[in-house]
Amino acid sequence: MLRFVGKRLWNGSLTLFALVTLTFFVMRLAPGGPFSRNRKISPEVQANIEAAFHLDEPIWQQFGRFVWGLLHLDLGPSTRFRDYSVGDIIASGLPYSLTIGAWAVLLAAFVGIALGIAGAMRRNGFTDYAAGTVGVIGIAIPIFVIGPVLQVIFAVKLQWLPVGSWNDGWRSLVLPVVVLALPNIAYISRLTRASMIETMRENYVRTAVAKGIGPTRTLMGHTLEGALIPVIAYLGPATAAIITGSILIETIFALPGIGRHFVDAALNRDYPLVMGITLLYGALLILFNIVTDLIRAWIDPRLRNAH
Amino acid sequence: MTAETLLSLRGLTVRFRLPHGETVAVDGIDLDLAAGEVLGIVGESGSGKSQVLYSLMGLLAANGRAGGQALFEGVDLLSLSRRQLDTLRGQHISMIFQDPMTSLNPYRRVGDQIAEGLIVHEGLSRSAAQAEAVRMLDRVRIPDASNRARRFPHEFSGGMRQRVMIAMALLTRPKLLLADEPTTALDVTIQAQVLDLMAELARETGTAIILVTHDLGVVARLCGRVAVLYGGRVMEEAGAQALFSTPAHPYTRGLLDAMPRLEQALTPRLGTIPGTPRSGGGDVIGCPFAPRCTERIARCTTERPAFLERSHLGGTRSAACHLIPEVAE
Ligand SMILES: Nc1ncnc2c1ncn2[C@@H]1O[C@H](COP(=O)(O)OP(=O)(O)OP(=O)(O)O)[C@@H](O)[C@H]1O
Ligand code: SF4
Ligand SMILES: [Mg+2]
Repeated sequence: MLRFVGKRLWNGSLTLFALVTLTFFVMRLAPGGPFSRNRKISPEVQANIEAAFHLDEPIWQQFGRFVWGLLHLDLGPSTRFRDYSVGDIIASGLPYSLTIGAWAVLLAAFVGIALGIAGAMRRNGFTDYAAGTVGVIGIAIPIFVIGPVLQVIFAVKLQWLPVGSWNDGWRSLVLPVVVLALPNIAYISRLTRASMIETMRENYVRTAVAKGIGPTRTLMGHTLEGALIPVIAYLGPATAAIITGSILIETIFALPGIGRHFVDAALNRDYPLVMGITLLYGALLILFNIVTDLIRAWIDPRLRNAH
Repeated sequence: MTAETLLSLRGLTVRFRLPHGETVAVDGIDLDLAAGEVLGIVGESGSGKSQVLYSLMGLLAANGRAGGQALFEGVDLLSLSRRQLDTLRGQHISMIFQDPMTSLNPYRRVGDQIAEGLIVHEGLSRSAAQAEAVRMLDRVRIPDASNRARRFPHEFSGGMRQRVMIAMALLTRPKLLLADEPTTALDVTIQAQVLDLMAELARETGTAIILVTHDLGVVARLCGRVAVLYGGRVMEEAGAQALFSTPAHPYTRGLLDAMPRLEQALTPRLGTIPGTPRSGGGDVIGCPFAPRCTERIARCTTERPAFLERSHLGGTRSAACHLIPEVAE
């Protein structure tokens, strides 16, 4: 098992390095730089700025400097917010995105899996239809419609919850978390349902039923493990995406997360910030994929002994 | 039905709902099984052998429904709720399936899977049930049983997995074991060995067996009686020796004629009879074998031959064919 973990971590580091390289060069090779404005600036000023951001060095040197910085968790200064480093900006936004994202993932996993199981156990029953309806709504209606609708109902009319911002404790969390979770609840419940139905057809589940151990033991001890494997495979990458912030959610609910910084940075050609956020997302993606692999290997002994 | 009758099927049917209409997989079967007896069921693919067993275990597919009666010690299995059935299956009635490679849960240790039945049905503690599981693995001749019990199914060969299934099925000393082609998926060289082991252990526990098989050699060796199925009905039923030496029904005779001679084949299997075997489909008015029968008469396509005691070579034989005269009352 230890070797398995080590191998995954090593592979993950290689992937991360490839990602760092790729982001760096794509950024540098993209046309237009952070200071190429339509407004003409004098060549001296241009040179000074480029020197300050080491843009005058050969590209390999810039790359080396960048990687060296990364190893010290230093992502360099932002080119737009002069007085802040990229690290500062990410650190200021990440807690918000992380909090909302983590709750949304938990909510989506819990509700989605429960709905999926209930639907599969009583196919075409009430819960199944209810879950199916939620699923269609969650997938078909976009966040920027559901969000404002819920704001109108729960914040404006009923006044139970704030419309937005981050000043109201847990109550500020409710709407963004629910709206962010909805499409994932929809997707996870459908995935769980399909996977449950497929697993219930497995011969080993038939064996369990034939043993007369009862529906609960059959579900918990035999059907569920196999049925959850595809769900876990989805949850890993989805978690990385959700906790790194959603620009839509942060805009609708006026939250200071990193999703908005990312769009700002892209629009302003703030290379270091774009790279910082991309790398954060990439690193989390790789990390959660490793976690996913470990959970799958923990469930499935055949994966453990492979290699 | 005598005092020691364990299982008694009366007019057992299995029907499947289909998008357009219905298919009849088992079409009114009468069979009796005494305690400790070994009954073979033979028949071509699709003749309904598996569905007979599934209906007893409550394992029919969602679109399937069983009719008639299946009396197990006088209790009609078909009328039981799932909860009531759970007090019987896995404890007093066990089943071994055809495909040992997929019939064990790949995510759980073999010992846990065997022990589970004892924990649920006999209230044993986990450790006591585990100890019983190891003892049983030892009896099905799994080497190094106590270590093997902590392994996962993928670390076992096909033959070993089927022996695990046998251990699991016989652990609670059931009164009835349903075995659905238990060795068909195994290497030919170990088929006999696994079957003999199953029969031997069942004898020790006094367990009756219904053995579904394609292998007439297995029937001859292990089964006291045989029922020949065709199109969801019993064509003929007799003691194994009598059936082989003096088959009464045209279908049985066809099967035996088509069988390779013993000296030509290591394991004689059902041969092929000209024509396509009937499988599923709607209700049949006459004899299901009529389209392929070389001895067919006019009555065969209009009137269903009843399955009852008929005269055959001076004795009697249970069969369903118009050509075999009924025993006068
Ligand atoms: N879920 C289902 N829906 C409709 N028809 C079914 C279903 N399950 C089985 N059948 C039909 O029931 C008939 C009998 O099937 P069964 O599995 O009992 O055959 P069998 O005698 O066991 O054959 P084999 O030797 O191939 O295992 C077949 O014609 C099959 O198509
Ligand atoms: S009843 Fe008729 S068709 Fe059927 S087996 Fe007998 S002779 Fe053949
Ligand atoms: Mg079958």
